[in-house]
Amino acid sequence: MTRQAFLLSLPALLLVCLFGVVMFSFAEISLLSMKPGAAVFSGPPSLANYERLLASSGAWRAVATTMRLSFIITVLCIVAGYPLARVLARSPSASLRRFVLFCLVGTFLSGGVTRAYAWLIILGNRGIINRGLEAFGLPTLKLLNNEFAVVVSVLNFVLPFFVMTLFGALKTIPATLEDASRNLGASPMRTFLHVTLPLSIPGLAVSTSLCFAMSLGAFLFPQMLGGGRVQVLATAIYERIQASYNIPEAAALAFLFFILVIVILVVTGLLRRLVGRRFAGDPA
Amino acid sequence: MTSSRGAGPIFMCVGMATLAFIVLPLPFIILYSFSPNAYAVISSQGFTLKWFVSFFENDRFMAATAASLQIAAITTVASLLLAIPTAVMAVRHRFVGRELLLTLISAPLVVPGVIVGTAALGFVSQTGIGPGFWPLTVAMIALALPLTMRPLIANLSGLDPDLENAARNLGASPFSAFMRITLPQLAPGLVAGGTFAFVEAMDNFAIAAFLSNITFTTLPVESYSYIRDIDDPTVAAMATLLILFSVFVVFLIERLLGLDKFLDLG
Repeated sequence: MTRQAFLLSLPALLLVCLFGVVMFSFAEISLLSMKPGAAVFSGPPSLANYERLLASSGAWRAVATTMRLSFIITVLCIVAGYPLARVLARSPSASLRRFVLFCLVGTFLSGGVTRAYAWLIILGNRGIINRGLEAFGLPTLKLLNNEFAVVVSVLNFVLPFFVMTLFGALKTIPATLEDASRNLGASPMRTFLHVTLPLSIPGLAVSTSLCFAMSLGAFLFPQMLGGGRVQVLATAIYERIQASYNIPEAAALAFLFFILVIVILVVTGLLRRLVGRRFAGDPA
Repeated sequence: MTSSRGAGPIFMCVGMATLAFIVLPLPFIILYSFSPNAYAVISSQGFTLKWFVSFFENDRFMAATAASLQIAAITTVASLLLAIPTAVMAVRHRFVGRELLLTLISAPLVVPGVIVGTAALGFVSQTGIGPGFWPLTVAMIALALPLTMRPLIANLSGLDPDLENAARNLGASPFSAFMRITLPQLAPGLVAGGTFAFVEAMDNFAIAAFLSNITFTTLPVESYSYIRDIDDPTVAAMATLLILFSVFVVFLIERLLGLDKFLDLG
C-alpha cells in the first residue's frame, strides 16, 4: 500500500473503525443486563439474554414472520417489477420512459413516512377503500394492523428500488438478440423465455437480493401498519426499547438478527455467483 | 422483417399497473392534506389550508424539521468530502485489503437500520454520550458514505486519467491538477451522490428512532409520534410539502443531469 493510497483511505478507514467499535460494544452489551431503575448496564457477562430469547416462542415467531413476509414481498416484487423494468428498457417511446423514470425517482425521493401515512389513510377503517365499500352498502374490510397491510406497504416502498436496479441490467441486453430470435421464427413468448429471460437472470439476481434485504430490514412499515399485531424482528427489537428500555436484551435480539442477515447475505452472494456463472458468465 | 422492439402487450399492461400501484399513495395524501374534515380524505366541504398552518405553528414539528435539515445538510457535505478521496483510492489504487475496505464501507447499507440503531444506542448509553444530534449525524454520515461513494466511483472510472496527467506534466501540483481538471468532471457523481445522501439522512427512521429522545427528534420520528398520538391531516400537509420538494428536485436533476444518467450512477 503506497503512502498516497493510505492517506486517501484514511477518512473512510476511520469511519469503518468507528463502526467496528460500535458493533463490538454492541456484542458486549448484549451479554450484560440492565441495572434496575437506572440507565446503566451491569455485569457479569453472561448468555442469559440469549438463553431467554432462544427459549421464548415470541423471538422464533418473529424470525418466522420476518422470513415469510420478506419471501412473499420478494416474489410479488419480481412479478410486478420485472414488466415495468422491461417497459423502461424496451419502450420505443422516449416520453413514456421519461414519465416512468419521473414517477419512480419522484416517489423514491418523497420518503418513507409519507407513503406509510398514505397507506394508513387508504387502508384504515375509515379510509378510502372502506368508505367506498360503505357507499355501496357493502361490509367493510379489516385491512389495517395485519400482514396484508405490511406486505402492501413494504412492496410499495421496495418496488422503485427493484425496478431501477433491474432496469440498469436489462438495458445492457442488446435488443438485436431478440430481433434475431423473432426473425428465425420464434414467437414473442418463446423469445422471451429462451432469449430475454436467461440473459436477464444475473441482473434479476442482484435486484432480487436487494429486494429481499430491504424487506428483511423493513421497520417503519411493520411498525406503523402492523399496529403491534405483526411482530417482525425489527419491531420486536424496538419494542424491547420502547416498552421496557431493556437495551441489553434488545441488543441480544439485534445480534441474533445480525447473524441471520450475515448468513442470508453469504447464501445469496453464493447463489448470485453460481447463477452469474451459469448465465452470461457475469459474476455480478 | 419482424421487429421485437417494444416491451410487448402483456409486459406493457402489467408494467403500467405496477407504476399505478407505486404512485397510488401520493395523490391520496395530497387530497387529504387539503381536506377540512380530519375523518375524510375527500370532503364535500371544499378545501382548506389549515393543516399547513397547523404544521408551521407546531413548535415540535418546526424543531424537528430544523434538526432534520441540519443533519441532512451536514451529512451531504461530510459524506461527499469523505467519498471523494475514497473513490480516488478505489479507482486509481490497488493494494491488499482494498476489496475488504470497500465491503466494510458498504456494510451499513446491508445491515438493517434497526440493528445499527440498537448498536448505536447501546454505544452512546454505555459511553455516557447519550442519544442526540451529533450521534445521529455521525451514524447518518456512515450510512451515506457508501451511497455517495458509488456514483463517484462510477463517474471517476469513466474519466480519462491522461487529462490529469497532462496537467501534471505541464507543472500543476497533484492537488491543483485534481481540483482543476478532475473535480469539475465529477459534477454528475457529486449531484447524484449528494441527492442520495440528503434523502437518506432526511428520511431515515430506523436509526433516528433509537437515537432520539424527548428533547430531540427528527421529522420522520416526530411525524410517527404525531400520527400515533393525534392523527389529523397535519402530517399529510407535511407529506405534501415533501412531495412538492421531491418533484422540484426531480425536475432539477432532469435539467442538470438527465434522469437516465442519475440512475446509471446510482
